[in-house]
Amino acid sequence: MKQYLWRVVAIIIGGLFIYAGAIKVVDPVEFARDIDNYKMLPWQVNVWMGLYLPWLEILCGLALITRVLYRGSVFVLTALMVLFIIITGIAKARGLDISCGCFGHASKYLSFAWHLVLDFLLLGGLVLLWKNAPPRSDAQLA
Amino acid sequence: MKAQLRQSVALLALALLPAAVQALYLRDKIPWQSRVAESDLVSVEVARGWGANALWVDARPAEEFERDHIPGAVLLNEDRWNELLSQFLATQWSPEKKIVVYCSAASCNLAEDVARRLREEAKLPNEIRILKGGWEAWLAQKK
Repeated sequence: MKQYLWRVVAIIIGGLFIYAGAIKVVDPVEFARDIDNYKMLPWQVNVWMGLYLPWLEILCGLALITRVLYRGSVFVLTALMVLFIIITGIAKARGLDISCGCFGHASKYLSFAWHLVLDFLLLGGLVLLWKNAPPRSDAQLA
Repeated sequence: MKAQLRQSVALLALALLPAAVQALYLRDKIPWQSRVAESDLVSVEVARGWGANALWVDARPAEEFERDHIPGAVLLNEDRWNELLSQFLATQWSPEKKIVVYCSAASCNLAEDVARRLREEAKLPNEIRILKGGWEAWLAQKK
């Protein structure tokens, strides 16, 4: 029974990352601008991040759902979430007016507090998936 | 753990492929060198030279605008976009004039966002430029 529950959690989180990646992939420059608002990296790097990160999210989301490269996707997404929470905290402490752009324009209507709640929920879900990863024989290519 | 790392590297590498294809596909549309194309910027000196032919748009928050602003500038920020845009179009706007949008400094992005919305949402036919260095550059030039 528990196994089904983690499967559902993996599908929900995977779906969320696919959605988040898909809405950014259509306008990588807009996403690069959102990254640039954090004022941490030069623009040239942000452009490449804007092109690369949405595809990484989509691939990891697909991996969570299909269980192909499952453990790797949980690892990458957890690392991304931790990094993102730290960077958001630093940007806020520096007084930057940021829109994370995580969910495209919908992000602009979310307050900082709601962003944090969502981020920690996702991170919590990923940690639980990590702890309850299916046996290697169940997760293909694991 | 080894398998996890191996899979992670595989995912990180796999994502490079569609990103590279997209970069190639969009290579002419991406501003690779700077966030704002040089052709979208205008220096204080040049914009001042436009005289009455320039419409100054202040994209900063209302409190900063009320404290001080470029003479003749109109407040138009994203906090009250619809209301301020209608006011601007009804009172100040003219299709022949050049629009110069500014915010507080070179590091702010408000002017860029307002300029983009004027072009893409309001579909204004005017030449729309962003003031290089923003309000800080204006103050420095005044001294």
